[in-house]
Amino acid sequence: MKYWFNSTRQTPPQLLALTGLLAYAACSLSSAADSTNTLKENFRDIPTPPAFHVEATLLDGPVFANANGKTLYKWSQHRLRNGYSGEAPGTPECYDDVLTVTAGLMSPYPPGIILPELDSRVSCTDLWPPVFADDDAQTIGEWTIVERKDGSKQWAFDEQPLYTSVRDSRPGDVLGGTTRRFGGDSPAKRTPIGPPTLLPPGFAVRSTFIGRLLATDKNNSVYSFDQDSAITAACVEDCLNKWQPVIAPGLARPQGEWSVLERSPGVKQWVFRGKPLYTYSLDRRSWSLKGTDIPGWENVFTQAAPRLPSSFTSQATIQGNVLANANGKTIYVYNCGEDSADQLACDHPETTQVYRLAMCGAGDPEKCLSYWPYVEAQVSESAPDESPWTIVSIDPMTGRFASANQSSALRVWAYRDRPVFLYGEDKRPGDVNGAGTGEWRGQRNGLRAIWLRDDYMSGIL
Amino acid sequence: MHTIQRLIFATAAATALVSGSVSAGDSALRDGKIGYVMTDMFWSVYQTPDAEQECPRGFNDGPREQFAQLFPNHEELSVEETQLKQEIRTWHPTTEPDDFEFLSVEGDLSWGLNLDGKTGPNDFTHPDGTPGIDNEVYRSVGCIIGFRGPDGVEYIFQNKAIVDAPYNRMMIELSDVDNLENDNSVTITVSRGMDRLLTDATGAKIMAGGTQRVDTRWGKSLIRQMQGSIKNSVLTTEPIDDLIIPWMNLGVPSIHLIRDMRLQLTLTSQGAAGLLAGYADVDTWYKQLIRNDSTHHLSNGQISGISLYKALRQFADAYPDPESEENTAISTSLDVKMTQVFITH
Repeated sequence: MKYWFNSTRQTPPQLLALTGLLAYAACSLSSAADSTNTLKENFRDIPTPPAFHVEATLLDGPVFANANGKTLYKWSQHRLRNGYSGEAPGTPECYDDVLTVTAGLMSPYPPGIILPELDSRVSCTDLWPPVFADDDAQTIGEWTIVERKDGSKQWAFDEQPLYTSVRDSRPGDVLGGTTRRFGGDSPAKRTPIGPPTLLPPGFAVRSTFIGRLLATDKNNSVYSFDQDSAITAACVEDCLNKWQPVIAPGLARPQGEWSVLERSPGVKQWVFRGKPLYTYSLDRRSWSLKGTDIPGWENVFTQAAPRLPSSFTSQATIQGNVLANANGKTIYVYNCGEDSADQLACDHPETTQVYRLAMCGAGDPEKCLSYWPYVEAQVSESAPDESPWTIVSIDPMTGRFASANQSSALRVWAYRDRPVFLYGEDKRPGDVNGAGTGEWRGQRNGLRAIWLRDDYMSGIL
Repeated sequence: MHTIQRLIFATAAATALVSGSVSAGDSALRDGKIGYVMTDMFWSVYQTPDAEQECPRGFNDGPREQFAQLFPNHEELSVEETQLKQEIRTWHPTTEPDDFEFLSVEGDLSWGLNLDGKTGPNDFTHPDGTPGIDNEVYRSVGCIIGFRGPDGVEYIFQNKAIVDAPYNRMMIELSDVDNLENDNSVTITVSRGMDRLLTDATGAKIMAGGTQRVDTRWGKSLIRQMQGSIKNSVLTTEPIDDLIIPWMNLGVPSIHLIRDMRLQLTLTSQGAAGLLAGYADVDTWYKQLIRNDSTHHLSNGQISGISLYKALRQFADAYPDPESEENTAISTSLDVKMTQVFITH
């Protein structure tokens, strides 16, 4: 198997200590950005066809990619309000038909309404080219081959047909989709596929906005203590009232970044990258960050959050900490998916803007700039290295990428190639008055805040 | 042990359990303090059988019904001409009349309080005969199915979220209390709790005697203090400038802003029940509704956000905007129930 990044197996044990830095209210995040760790997530080798390899990504850990380094995606079936969209195992549904009417999958609106901008509308495969299999391709392990309607062969993984995204241009891009959680009312999204993370049984990893967060398979966050080492545990006696060691089976053996600490005869504790792991007895929610309020304790990440723009700040709200601009105003991401059978996204400057313009300014671009202004980059700012945060040039009247040398273009911050916004009705740092604006609480055609910590609604997931 | 002895022992044990719970309740007032945590809260809607008195012309249509009337030939129209048009009207509401007659409450009776100390032609009368009741939110929502109990979608789910979501965990703590039946001067502190509610073994019934920590971090800005008095076990507070109620239903960090907020609660050592009343900021009220509940959810309760916003603005009765002179707040009352809780500091 070909790796496009250095193996991490020789990396010295080192813990990612990021969340504590992110937890401070109203502080610059430059320190967090500076501390970004280059450790990447290890994965389990599984039999893979020679046409594919593993790429490291900033947001979603290791993913499978084709020979050109383009990430592979699946489009799993997703239950919507009035039916299902996505693909059942073994059944491609993404074709080159240009759909013209809505599917009525999201009530209360009926099906059969004419979709926007039909003259320039594209098909599912225009945006999601199928990953075709050569005639002599051989199935192996979880990699199989399915037949499309025209008889052509398409690669599948775990029986889900595979695609690439036209949004991705470089190896490691995951601009077409993310493995981050999406709710029942979100569109049926495409998600990148990858090899299993190298974890002992009993653990799980999730993509969050602040990194690849480690937890138990019961969704309880795991933590490490800065006074511990791989061979000694400083958390003893009263400390154990609040912190429960994550117990390893008696037969557990070290593997890669994982080892075991025998706390007392016959009682073994899992150790990751040189730090024994614990759960926090006062955690009340899954994937919690609350334990980091105790000095010396940190959540554990298999992979750190990518760098943030240095001017961004963290602001305290009544729910947790939210990402904000230099003036403390909350930053929002726009989400959009059409109510069409192919559930094409409409959240990118290269897609139709009629949905966004409707929501941000009742169809009026000028109002959008007033109600939901772009987060403009300062003249002196440049995008951080190795980050999904970029600076893009936007035509403010169309919402699309500006043409070269367009004088009216705005230089704005973008996350995953999508511009981000402020809300005009947020008056003070910590206001999140725009969160959940739009259809389906901002999940289908609307805006959601970016949470750095959320003690109430799991907003980081 | 003889049978009779077993019987005596069992009886004694049962008595101890019962008396134990009673004494726990009696001891809820400790060092002049007693706490209560919110378990039920919803807009006060006075209802008569079949709504004959308050809604003699029936109930309002919702988004689904309005869409069908506006766009009978929707298959000949575009998303921009139909669906997005309605979403724009929802998210950028105006006071301009629409094509639908809004059915407001027509009856004279309402729950609530006399907020302004006056009795005017637009005021309701309390079912106990008290005149001057200010509750224009009721006038706006009383003939919308989703706001009516026991099965309106908002009635069910906004109320359910009070228990389910710690984000909504409002509490009051009374201090300087000499006597829960009569006390001329008590101090009431409003804050947000951080913990799960104590329940019985079914998990369904909230029990008195639980413990809550105060959220002094994220919830610091929610803390308010006011003065009040207790007469015949009824707590009545002085109005405070504003109260922010953290109230999310479907995972959106939303609030209600109630100006001139005051409480009127009947107290026991086990719980409190009564009214939270004041003037709700109209835009905050409306956005709390539509940010949590999509047009789909509103449709289930036949709630047209488009029409309701116009009504809320029409019936708004306080806090005129200095420039436009249009009222920005609307009188309201919430039915609340609280359960005794020990608040730790």
